Amino acid sequence: MTVDETQSTPESVSGVSVTPLSGLGTVRWYRPEGHPSPEDASAGSPEEEQQRFDDARQLARDELERERERTAERVGDEEAAVFDAHLKFLEDPQLIEGIGDEIDAGEAAELAVDRAYGDAIEQFEGMDGLMAERADDLRDIRDRLLRLLSGGERIDLTALPEGTILLAERLTPSDTAQLDPEAVAGFATVTGGRTSHVAIFARSLGIPAIVGAGDDLLNIPEGTAVAVDAENESVVVDPDEEVRERVTAGRDVTVREERVETRDGKEIEVAANIGTTAEIDGAIGQGADGVGLFRTEFLFLDRESPPDEDEQFETYVDALEAFPEGRVVVRTLDIGGDKPIPYLELPEEENPFLGDRGIRRSLGDDAHLFESQLRALLRAAGATDGTLSVMFPLVATVDELTAALDEVDRVAEDLADEGTEYAVPELGVMVETPAAVMMAEEFAERVDFLSIGTNDLAQYVMAADRENDAVAHLHNPQQPAVLRAIRRSVEAAHEHGAWIGMCGEMAGDPASTELLVGLGLDELSMSAVTVPAVKANITEIDSTDAAAVADQALTAATKQHVTDTIDQ
Amino acid sequence: MIERTITVVPEDGLHARPASQVVEAANSYESKVTVGPAGSDGVDAASMLAVTGLGVGPGDEVDITADGPDEEAAIDDLEEILTTPEHGDNGEEQ
Repeated sequence: MTVDETQSTPESVSGVSVTPLSGLGTVRWYRPEGHPSPEDASAGSPEEEQQRFDDARQLARDELERERERTAERVGDEEAAVFDAHLKFLEDPQLIEGIGDEIDAGEAAELAVDRAYGDAIEQFEGMDGLMAERADDLRDIRDRLLRLLSGGERIDLTALPEGTILLAERLTPSDTAQLDPEAVAGFATVTGGRTSHVAIFARSLGIPAIVGAGDDLLNIPEGTAVAVDAENESVVVDPDEEVRERVTAGRDVTVREERVETRDGKEIEVAANIGTTAEIDGAIGQGADGVGLFRTEFLFLDRESPPDEDEQFETYVDALEAFPEGRVVVRTLDIGGDKPIPYLELPEEENPFLGDRGIRRSLGDDAHLFESQLRALLRAAGATDGTLSVMFPLVATVDELTAALDEVDRVAEDLADEGTEYAVPELGVMVETPAAVMMAEEFAERVDFLSIGTNDLAQYVMAADRENDAVAHLHNPQQPAVLRAIRRSVEAAHEHGAWIGMCGEMAGDPASTELLVGLGLDELSMSAVTVPAVKANITEIDSTDAAAVADQALTAATKQHVTDTIDQ
Repeated sequence: MIERTITVVPEDGLHARPASQVVEAANSYESKVTVGPAGSDGVDAASMLAVTGLGVGPGDEVDITADGPDEEAAIDDLEEILTTPEHGDNGEEQ
């Protein structure tokens, strides 16, 4: 590799640590797309270039075969057929010959590929329908070859070698969900914030992670030894002995499988947030009492059609059976324009977070999905001994709540008429909007429980986008305005005999446990990885002292005062 | 050399899976295999680019040729692919 203009490797890169975990390992870069311009490639001898092209073609073939196999397994043979077509184009004698001619004329393999494919693409582009699609196929293969020629092998996220520290520009939720916590010692991304989805997944999976590390991260080469240092919120390059010892030092918080109570005997339920049943084992392993938030939208992502009633039924039964003594709180589908789901035709909106999403869609365009989800839930509640609770997201009005509850009644009647076994679960409402806070009394009168989603509540109360780092100081649950909204909701719930939980990131922040107990929350639900620390905290707390801390925090005029009160 | 004229049955024509199958078959014989619209020169059936570039649809008549030591087997194989409804179209197997 030439040394021109190459940035030197940084000693460390700071970002935001999103789990309390650290890790040590070897850098592997994940570059799902993109390649340098083929014009910039410098050519070696024709023999060398031919060899490079042959190697890239072999790698492309391996990748395509793997992708075909996986698609056939997970999606279907029909969809996998596209990879067969790609393999045939890859081995096309005309293309291979054309590329060979360019290489013989002294061009770099990159430029040869770009030209030969470019000519073929141009031919197909002029034609109609199916032929134009072939141009897309050819573009895909060209880009794959160019990426492989630049050394960017696409790595299989499900099969990373042990001790991998994965670095990436960004990771999507589905990328992150593929990571194996046993193999991946940590990851770091250029983009992302504390409450971004990738951060939530990292906590669920218990993977050390630094997000929002910025462009400096790009200068850490493949194969470097690095540490993900949670304490200093940084990625340390070539860590010395001191750092190595520190980051590998025991993750030895004791896991408590039993329920915990405060010193003076107030029981607090500590549950885990999950997105898929794959996370259940982790939740049990960390000693969660149950599930406080099952984000069912992940059942609907990354597929060609929605999961049917039976598939959902199985999933909910699995979750309930995993916690025979505990409670499983399922949130009905919370989907909006920010999450692309091909089969739903979600509207393009200026402001998806203020748009047609959550319960609004369930009572509108997605009513059929809502119905099948409720049917699956009621059947699951009837089929197991576990305690199922179902809550509705983004409710802002009593009318919405009434309509949702009516739908539950209607589904129950249908099931009864059909003679299908079912039970009506506990029903609740998410408190995520200022409207829900103001109407909390009316909501609590009508349901069994409320659950505060602090990430969205902070976002909507403070009018600060949770994915926007520039306003991170605002979308913080320790803002007095958010704290007062929480208190108001707790009082409303208790006044009307409803229990109230919290399932946002604040619930899993061990520094906030005393405050939350003092505010009167009955249940805290969090990423599994923080369950042991929060359980340990609860056993140390006296609920009268905690109430005093909460009262004092509620008098604070600034976030700093809130933080100071908690830290005392 | 053997030549036959046949009518293309698979509903994708010479695209997607049928095209892949033709190319795969053509590559598995020593004989040189061509395919093309009836009455005109054929293209190399071993080239995905050439085969899909023909733009052949279902119901179109095509000439297929095979020339070489295993031409008989090659042309039979090709004819079968081009005259068999696609897997799943008629519910066979499963």
